[in-house]
Amino acid sequence: MLAVDVKNIKKTFISKQDTVEAVKDVSFHVKQGEIFGLLGPNGAGKSTTILMLTTLLSITEGSASILGIDVATKDKEVREKIGVALQDTGIDNLLTGHELFFTTCRLWGYSKKDSEVRTNELLELVGLTEAADRRVKTYSGGMKRRLDLGLSLVHSPEILFLDEPTTGLDPGSRRVLWDEIKRLRNNGVTVILTTQYLEEADELADRIAIIDEGLVVAEGTSDELKASIGGDVITFAFNHNDDLKNAKNILTNSVQEKNELRITVEDGASRIPGYLKDLSNQGVEVSSVSANKPTLDDVFLEVTGYRLEGSESSQQAKQKSKR
Amino acid sequence: MKSKRSFLVQLQILTKRMTLRVVRRPLAELPNLIISAFFLFVYDGALGGVFGGNASGTPFDFANGNFVNFILPVSIVSASLSGAASGIYLVEDIESGVFKRYQSMPISRWAIILAPMNVGAFRVLLQAGLILLIGKFIGADPAVGNVGFLIVLSIAFIWGMGFAGYSVAAGVKSGSSQGAQAATFLFFPAIFLAPTFVPREALKGWLETAAAYNPTTYVIEGMRSVMVQGWEPDVLFRGYLSACLFAAITLTFAVISARKATEKA
Ligand SMILES: Nc1ncnc2c1ncn2[C@@H]1O[C@H](COP(=O)(O)OP(=O)(O)OP(=O)(O)O)[C@@H](O)[C@H]1O
Ligand SMILES: [Mg+2]
Repeated sequence: MLAVDVKNIKKTFISKQDTVEAVKDVSFHVKQGEIFGLLGPNGAGKSTTILMLTTLLSITEGSASILGIDVATKDKEVREKIGVALQDTGIDNLLTGHELFFTTCRLWGYSKKDSEVRTNELLELVGLTEAADRRVKTYSGGMKRRLDLGLSLVHSPEILFLDEPTTGLDPGSRRVLWDEIKRLRNNGVTVILTTQYLEEADELADRIAIIDEGLVVAEGTSDELKASIGGDVITFAFNHNDDLKNAKNILTNSVQEKNELRITVEDGASRIPGYLKDLSNQGVEVSSVSANKPTLDDVFLEVTGYRLEGSESSQQAKQKSKR
Repeated sequence: MKSKRSFLVQLQILTKRMTLRVVRRPLAELPNLIISAFFLFVYDGALGGVFGGNASGTPFDFANGNFVNFILPVSIVSASLSGAASGIYLVEDIESGVFKRYQSMPISRWAIILAPMNVGAFRVLLQAGLILLIGKFIGADPAVGNVGFLIVLSIAFIWGMGFAGYSVAAGVKSGSSQGAQAATFLFFPAIFLAPTFVPREALKGWLETAAAYNPTTYVIEGMRSVMVQGWEPDVLFRGYLSACLFAAITLTFAVISARKATEKA
């Protein structure tokens, strides 16, 4: 049975002012025991998708099921199965970490005694034992995220939804959370997470769906996605703008990024001498050239036409290629 | 390991959690309590001399010689306004995302909404109770005996739940704690367009008309009847009726708006 099966779901928000198609057509499936990453920029529709799958928003069109249970019609049953950590962490600042865990355990139906045991277990798991009796107000951003993750694990859910679990964390804290998520997966939990970080999707997710403007534009393992581009990416860099301009006219199938040109071809390394010859014949000076396997970054560029903000390349590229 | 989760257990857990939140912010309780006590002391101090014992035998003897008895209901009405905290508590949870977290769990949505109402009710009983205690201390002495205090407290409770409902509806509707807070502005017309300092017969012109349409008038008069005059079933009945009607209307609105808020968009 599939952990999550999403078929052509759509979400339209209708208000007096306007109509927003937040999710236009999203389909994907997640197998049990895998980490599935929904990768996309701000406003892509990631949170809206998560909210629909976690029964917090109605689905305008299409259908989704969790462990074979229909999300729209059996929302109560679905809620029993899933753990949810939303983008806006729903955390009560006035209570202590211990109180929050204890209350949540009780709400999930544990007895007082079992709640105490489970609370200590979870505090240990997310590394908050020492801070347990401090009010959450005093926690750092990373601690709050870990607390949030812990709270979604109280009932040992089979399926875990995490909406941007590491946004705003420093690289160290991010790594701690990644390890934790991997450990959960290794214990059999299915994880669906959203992210706007390429490295995170690359490092963490067994399979990835790239979502942009409410549509899934690519899906597969990181390697499959990279392979789908075909071949290698050759990058030419130039010291002078004139050279860049001339080279662009010569290498007609290239894509410009800042002062670089990129070409995606089969067997990149062996093609370099030929390109360099063409360029030097026209008097173009190349400052450096390299051939690389495509990165997820390249995949993203290929399928959306722009780069993800925060990735190595600029936002300018986004605006230009979008025109 | 997991036991069955009943609605009442959920409500109890959520109420306890909400109570913790209130206890952690004791200062938030003070303003309303102080204002209510302030009414009692200041009006008694300012007007008690004129309309109290000295007024006996004059046309101004509407307090039957004990102005504390007469003014205490005003303080109590002010104290019962603390029920409006319910809406603020609820909206705080909506704003912080705690509400969403609970919604993503298999918890009764009514338990989520009733918990802050519960705490609002406690708060009304506590604040009104304290004011009654202060009142007794400075000389309040119900005409019908001590049972009068209980009657006043029960009317205050119903009235306070009316404010709770109003604040929940206003808060959920506006989606912000400012919206719920704004509910407390009702306080001014409610308290001052009423026979606050003198009986209704002594009001004149537009204020008399306004007071006649203000349910607070009947609530205050109902409380006053047992404090000042003695058993006056019709006045007392009108007091309960106004409070109940007010509460019924606002709680209905609260339920409707809360149901909308918990419904999926
Ligand atoms: N309740 C709503 N009413 C109207 N529009 C909405 C609502 N919620 C989301 N949207 C719109 O839907 C689109 C997708 O939003 P969503 O929050 O799903 O994006 P996201 O991928 O999670 O972005 P981010 O990375 O910024 O969290 C946005 O254009 C957003 O403005
Ligand atoms: Mg989001």
